[in-house]
Amino acid sequence: MIRHLPIFALLLLASCGEQGGPDIKVSNAWSRPTIGQAPGAVYLTIDNKGDGADRLTGAFTDHAAMAMVHQNEVVNGIAKMRMAGEINVPAHDKIEMKPGGTHIMLEGLRAPLRTGDDFDLVLKFRGSKDQTVKVNVLKPEGQ
Amino acid sequence: MSHQRLRMMLWVLVAIAAIGGLILALQRPSDVSSQQMATIGGPFTLTGSDGKPFPSSRLNGKPAAIFFGFTHCPDVCPTTLARLTKLRRQLDKGDQALSIVFITVDPERDGPAEVGTYASLFGAPVVGLTGSVADIERVKKQFGAFSEKVDQPGGGYSVDHTASVFLMDRNGQFVATLAPEESDGIALAKLKRLG
Repeated sequence: MIRHLPIFALLLLASCGEQGGPDIKVSNAWSRPTIGQAPGAVYLTIDNKGDGADRLTGAFTDHAAMAMVHQNEVVNGIAKMRMAGEINVPAHDKIEMKPGGTHIMLEGLRAPLRTGDDFDLVLKFRGSKDQTVKVNVLKPEGQ
Repeated sequence: MSHQRLRMMLWVLVAIAAIGGLILALQRPSDVSSQQMATIGGPFTLTGSDGKPFPSSRLNGKPAAIFFGFTHCPDVCPTTLARLTKLRRQLDKGDQALSIVFITVDPERDGPAEVGTYASLFGAPVVGLTGSVADIERVKKQFGAFSEKVDQPGGGYSVDHTASVFLMDRNGQFVATLAPEESDGIALAKLKRLG
């Protein structure tokens, strides 16, 4: 029994690690088409099926000079767009970025986004490894 | 005059004053609000996407949904304009039943070409309008619309602006606003009432 203790301990540790960690999946990434120099907005869903929370710390794409997490708010009838900072993704929860709320703004697009195009977007998290998601450029009505 | 008659007459006066007061009290709020409503909108001339003057009289004859935004707005503006084109489709009276008008609050970046291409994004007719900074300020004031430049941490700027759409009837009279929070059902009912 004593001999097996370290193995038990290791098993316990391993299960602890698994239980405490986030399990992040990014899906349903889409954008509307853009024109000229205008920035684009990407909407997506971050699903955390794990037992630990994680934080979205940033986004990158080869398709734009900058990708920033933005929060849109309507305060007293005025639409305000601001940098959102890090986004908390609680355990067993999901963050759905939808029009009129949180989105990933793409500034300095290499080319305007056109309906039918797709491109890769990398999301950076504090705990999980980088997640790459394919963004589909939909019709202007979006989803 | 007998005491009793005097008393009676005084009561009659009190009654008249009370009724008068009541009528005034009932009338005043509606007078004020109709005056306020009447001050939203009014004739204006801006610049169309062809670079030529666009007088608001060109909108007369059919209802209009007027939205103040800017082309560097990636979220709220396309969401609102796409919603309006979708609602117009749901009205099922064709693209000519309602004018959807996009007025930029960022005339420094949005010239006629920019508002024109932006308006053409939605696969259905949208009137894009710009003007000089003074023109835009004047029209914003007419509609009680707000906008303010906000510097972005990464450089450049964004513009805070009124999120609601102004609904006008076929004579260019203000009828109602349409807020982003309102459900599509309410929005559609409002558009139907425009005629």
